[in-house]
Parts: sequence; C-alpha cells; structure tokens
Amino acid sequence: MDSAASTQKPQSVIDAITNFYSHSYASTGRGSYWPANESTIKYEGVRNQLKRFINAQSEKEIIFTSGTTDSINKVANSFLRPQLKNGDRVIVTQMEHHSNYLPWQQVCVERGAELVVTPLTQSGTLDLDSLKTELTKGAQILAVTAVSNVLGTQNHIKSIVEMAHEYDVPVLVDAAQSVAHAPIDVQDWNCDFLAFSAHKCYGPTGVGVLYGKQKWIEQMQPANYGGGMVQQVGERSSSYRLLPYKHEAGTPNVAGGIGLGATLDFIQNVGFENIGNHEKELTTYALNRLAELDFVSVYGATANRAAVIAFNVTDVHPHDLSTFLNERGICIRAGHHCAQPLMQWLNVPATARASFGIYNTKTDVDELMNGLKAAYEFFV
Amino acid sequence: MSDRIKALYKTHILEKAKDQTHVGELANATHVVEAYNPLCGDQFKLYLKVEEGFVKKLKFSGYGCSISKASTAVLADKLQGSSIDDFNAIWAEFSELVNEDSNQKPEDISKDEYLLAFAAAREFPERKTCATLGWQALADAVIK
Repeated sequence: MDSAASTQKPQSVIDAITNFYSHSYASTGRGSYWPANESTIKYEGVRNQLKRFINAQSEKEIIFTSGTTDSINKVANSFLRPQLKNGDRVIVTQMEHHSNYLPWQQVCVERGAELVVTPLTQSGTLDLDSLKTELTKGAQILAVTAVSNVLGTQNHIKSIVEMAHEYDVPVLVDAAQSVAHAPIDVQDWNCDFLAFSAHKCYGPTGVGVLYGKQKWIEQMQPANYGGGMVQQVGERSSSYRLLPYKHEAGTPNVAGGIGLGATLDFIQNVGFENIGNHEKELTTYALNRLAELDFVSVYGATANRAAVIAFNVTDVHPHDLSTFLNERGICIRAGHHCAQPLMQWLNVPATARASFGIYNTKTDVDELMNGLKAAYEFFV
Repeated sequence: MSDRIKALYKTHILEKAKDQTHVGELANATHVVEAYNPLCGDQFKLYLKVEEGFVKKLKFSGYGCSISKASTAVLADKLQGSSIDDFNAIWAEFSELVNEDSNQKPEDISKDEYLLAFAAAREFPERKTCATLGWQALADAVIK
C-alpha cells in the first residue's frame, strides 16, 4: 500500500522492456541499420502516444526526461533562472513535494527572488483567496501539484491556471501523483508546463515527461548539452536541433521510453473510469474503517480525496508502526514523505501513509485495520 | 506476534522507550549535541554536563521512535559518571552489537542485557540508524 511512492509493474510493461533488450536493442536516431530504425520508430511512437495521453497540441511539446524531479529542475534552471531578477516572486504551495519546492527555492536564493508559499485551509485544501492575493502582486511562475502526496487533496487545476493567467503568471503542474489516477488534459487545463514520472503510473523507473507549451520551450535554453541535440557544431559556436530534441541531450532512456509506451497502453486498456471508480470505492472504505479506530488520526479532508491517506496512531511512532506492519506482510510508508513544509504545517515530524493502486483490494484495507489494532495493543 | 518483532522490541527496549529518567533539558549543560535523522525526521537534543572529563549528567529531549528513544535512554544510563574514553569503548561495543556484518556473537561483545537488546537491529538493517541515532551524534561531537 505504497503506490504513491512507486507502483508495481504489469507484466506487459516488463515484457515490452525485456523484448526490446532481447530482440531489437539499439539507440535511437543514430544508426541506419534495422534495430536502430526500429528503436527510433518505437520511441517516437511513444512520444505520439504521450501527446494523445495528455492531449498536447503537438509532439514537439513532449520532452522525455528522467522523471518529475528532472522535468521540474529543467524548467527552474532553463526557463525561470535566466529571467529571474532580484525582487521577483515565485509562488509554490504548502503542500508541495520537495521536488516541486527545492528547485524553486534554490533558484530564488541564487537570484535574490522571493519564494511565496501559498497556505492551506484548515481542511488541507489550497487557500484560493490567499493564492489570488499573491497572484495579484505578480510572479514569474506558479508551481502547484495536481494532487498532494500526503493529504490526497485534489487541486482544481483548470481554475487555478485560469486565475494565474489573469495576472499573466505561467503555471507548472506537478502531475506525479495524479497521472496514474485521473486523465490529464493540458489543453483543457491550459497549463504552461506539466511534469510526471512513469514509475508512479505502472511504468519503469528513470523515465518521465516534461510537457511545455511550444512558445515557452522554444525560448527555453537547453539544460544539458551533448549528443543528439545538435544541428551543427563549430569550434566556437553551435546550433541546436528543433523541438523537442534540443532539450534531450545524450543517449535517451530508450528501454524506459518503450516501457512507458506499454504503460500507457495498459492504463488505457483498464480505463480511467474503472481506475477512478475502484480507487474511490477503496479510499472511501478505508477512510470509513479508519474512522472506527479512535486511536487513529487521519490528516486532510475526507471529501474528494485521492487514493492516499496519511495518518498516525496515538503514541506509536510511524517507523515502529511500519516495521510492525511489515512483519504481517503489510507495506506502508512512514516518514515525512518528502514534504517537510507540509509536515511543519501539520505540526508533526512524520506520519504513516497508506496509498492505493488498481491492484489493492478491500481485503488489504481489512488487513491494515487488523495490523493497526495489533500495533496499538503491542506498543501502547 | 512474529518472533522477529518480539526480538526487536524486547521488553527492555519498550521499557527504556518509556523511561523518563533522563528526558528533559539541562539548564547548566556544558555541551549540547543535536542528533537528527533526515530520512525519518527523528530529532533529539542531548544535554551534557561535563566536569574534568567526566559526564556528570546527560539529559535528552526530542522526538523519535521506540528504538531511538530507548537507545538514547540507555546511552544516558551508561554515560552517567563516565569519561570520554569510557564512552569511546562502549560506543565501539554498541556499534559492533548492531552491525549486521559482524562475525562476533552479541553475547561475546557485551554482557549488559540493555545493550544486548539492540543486537536485534542486526535483523533490521533499515532500523540500525534508529538504534545509533543519539550514539552516533555524540561520537561525531566527541571527534570534533
């Protein structure tokens, strides 16, 4: 029950990667022999799949990265840094994962800019009034998560983007926690950038996506320089390939990309409607069952919650709890979940967290309940 | 209840995790050492009153799991009235006790049942940093 950290992989994804390495391995865009051609066609086919998956306007807007963290760092360093001046403002929120917090904090520190942290309401949703107030003061970018990896809060991205655009503030959406659970539509949301990782949506590790509106990623400088991204290299100056390749220096993670293609097929075969219904039913069931235990406190709102539940057992440290549950074959997460600003807001050093994927069942939740009761008995 | 869990959370550990004898702060501390595990957020402050090379008093406050609380409480027990050399010797014993790669049997390293209780951490390498949190911080401070 730790899919919010990383999901298990379906056989079809494992097979796609194994088949690629076993039968037709080559790098992309570099050779004129058959495996190289096939690799290029497959890899670029995944880019096309991704374009359709998030409803981008063009394949040029899809940049392969190593994951969400890499995607966000690219935007912070190559889009924001060159334009950020002393006294400028960058807005994030109190519920961000470190990967959508530290890249912004770092570039703000370097440039003498102000990092504004939008507060949350009592129930753990984004305080939209405060956000609006901050947006009226102007900012170079707003970085916001689609779903909190701790509270399970689902932000209404479309209206947040609309609000930000009223003040000409571009928006980056961290979709790491939403990609496995609900459809993404970058044109409907109208976001300027969007980032996610394959490993959180049943795909392989080490591959992710950065979506950027063409007008932004065209002006964005490459974050890395090297092979595969050049037009012509001179002794003193060089020219770079067109989008999206200028942002993809080096031999790509071809196998990861091909695995991601199989992942998208898998998700589409199951269907977001089925995924959503299953996870909603399971989350509601878990919240109701947790409410039966008076020694358990759940953090965040109950309504409209994604399939992630952070909680604590009275007088039982989350690490003691997770070690105890592990011995019963129950895997949950314990710690600060890479969201220390949120832990400070919750005023707890750490929490336990159960999160669900499509393979979890009510029996898993029942096992968790029995485990929590046993742990409380043992420790308290 | 699994035997492994019982072994890890021996009565001695649960007892020491709840032991309040050394919990608190020392207003007249000569040394304050911070112990922090960034992976889990566990954090203690160790307050030592050292006179003429001997630890007259040690108190600690902060937040941690049963294992880190218990091990810091045992550290405080052991250090009371000891010299820095005594600490170095007992720290060498303790780190060997929790070392999963050690080829020494725990019983051959120490006869102290409160120290021995932590040998169960050998079975749980991911909890070793909990067992050594306060000890390691003090050892680092001593080296400085």
